[in-house]
Amino acid sequence: MAAPASPARPNPAPAAAKPADGLLPSFATCLAVLALGLTAIFQATDGGSAFTTETLRRSQVARAPAPVPDFAVVDAQGRVQPLHRLLAQGGRVWIVDFEYTRCLSLCRVGGSVMQRLQDEIAARGMAGRVGLLSISFDPLNDGPPALADHARRLRMQPGLWQLVALRDEADRRRLLDAFGILVLPAPRGEFEHNAALHLVDAQARLVRIVDLGEPETALTGALSLAGP
Amino acid sequence: MRAIRPLSLTAVVATAAALALSLPPGRVLIEQSMVWHMLAQMPLLLLAGALAAAAAEQHRWSNRAADRLQRAARFNRYGLGSLMLAQCLLAYWMLPALIDRAVLLPGADAAKLAGLWIAGAALRLGLRQAPAAVQLFFGGTALPMLVWLGLYMAAGETRLCNAYTLDSQILAGRGLVALALGVGTAWVAWHLRARLRERGAPAAPGQRLPHRAP
Repeated sequence: MAAPASPARPNPAPAAAKPADGLLPSFATCLAVLALGLTAIFQATDGGSAFTTETLRRSQVARAPAPVPDFAVVDAQGRVQPLHRLLAQGGRVWIVDFEYTRCLSLCRVGGSVMQRLQDEIAARGMAGRVGLLSISFDPLNDGPPALADHARRLRMQPGLWQLVALRDEADRRRLLDAFGILVLPAPRGEFEHNAALHLVDAQARLVRIVDLGEPETALTGALSLAGP
Repeated sequence: MRAIRPLSLTAVVATAAALALSLPPGRVLIEQSMVWHMLAQMPLLLLAGALAAAAAEQHRWSNRAADRLQRAARFNRYGLGSLMLAQCLLAYWMLPALIDRAVLLPGADAAKLAGLWIAGAALRLGLRQAPAAVQLFFGGTALPMLVWLGLYMAAGETRLCNAYTLDSQILAGRGLVALALGVGTAWVAWHLRARLRERGAPAAPGQRLPHRAP
């Protein structure tokens, strides 16, 4: 045993600590730590409902619609117009997705989902209430010729499904941030990004984000937003 | 004491190595690969914290500080508080949304560095005092949680982090399962060995596990 009077002694081994004072303080500490930990996790996950950035983004938008900033966009015919003017056309609600025309594999899914939506909207005669809009986030490669090519390949019907790209490369970051999209470079010059269907109203507000696998939900949501 | 210097030195080296992965040239690695982030930097931070705690235990504290530490030990019997702290910090920084934040926001990354380093120190402090049953309780919840998370990540059905590609996530998921199973196996082996030793030398002085006096 170390003499208590020695000038310095090593940190006493915990086994040597007197356990006589009971476990109550330790239990209290434990519970306090647990309460703090759970509070932190609760806050970070939007009340335990969203564990990924993607679900957080969706629940935040559902709670408070986010204004979409205005950008100059260019279409397949080379026409330049502000995004807000495009969105205000006909007072429609838009289902927006993000693409890049060089896509070979991953975003094919997005394209085919939009195609199915186009067929559905046309079949039910709802083109006056809901529009489809694909925005390319690759302004360096997606000029009007590439857009025209892409529109042909996906059999986009003009007036029902619009395809635009940013005119200025400098706007790319702002556009992606506004929608909460993170684009990562992938092999063979492709990109990997979180993909979803974004419901944007005529007032250029991002109102809801729906999973790519639930186009019916997106369509129903868009129709209820558009009103009768 | 002879052992002080090398232990503190390893703690400093491990801390520096983990920090280097968050600063410019090394940062590319954790930004591009979930494996580097979750299976290199995060364990390294835990290790660095644990080594620092071990070095602190060996330090010859002044009488005053030693008294304070002993008084503080009242609140951490059997390492319950430290293990709970480590468990909470680990669960927090395993959340996919927070891994994303740590990649994108320097402030969140700094919080992660500090949080996991402290978790490592708390882990060492707790495990040193906890009897096998308490260790089993914490390990028995945390390790299966890691295995489950790893399997979920490796299944590749959902991309959990916007900051990482799916390929990177699948690889990290497999690694996480292997890591958790490895730690679990090592724990069992370590305890078996200790039990066997105890049986071999029943009269060994000094109990390793704290017991309340009968």
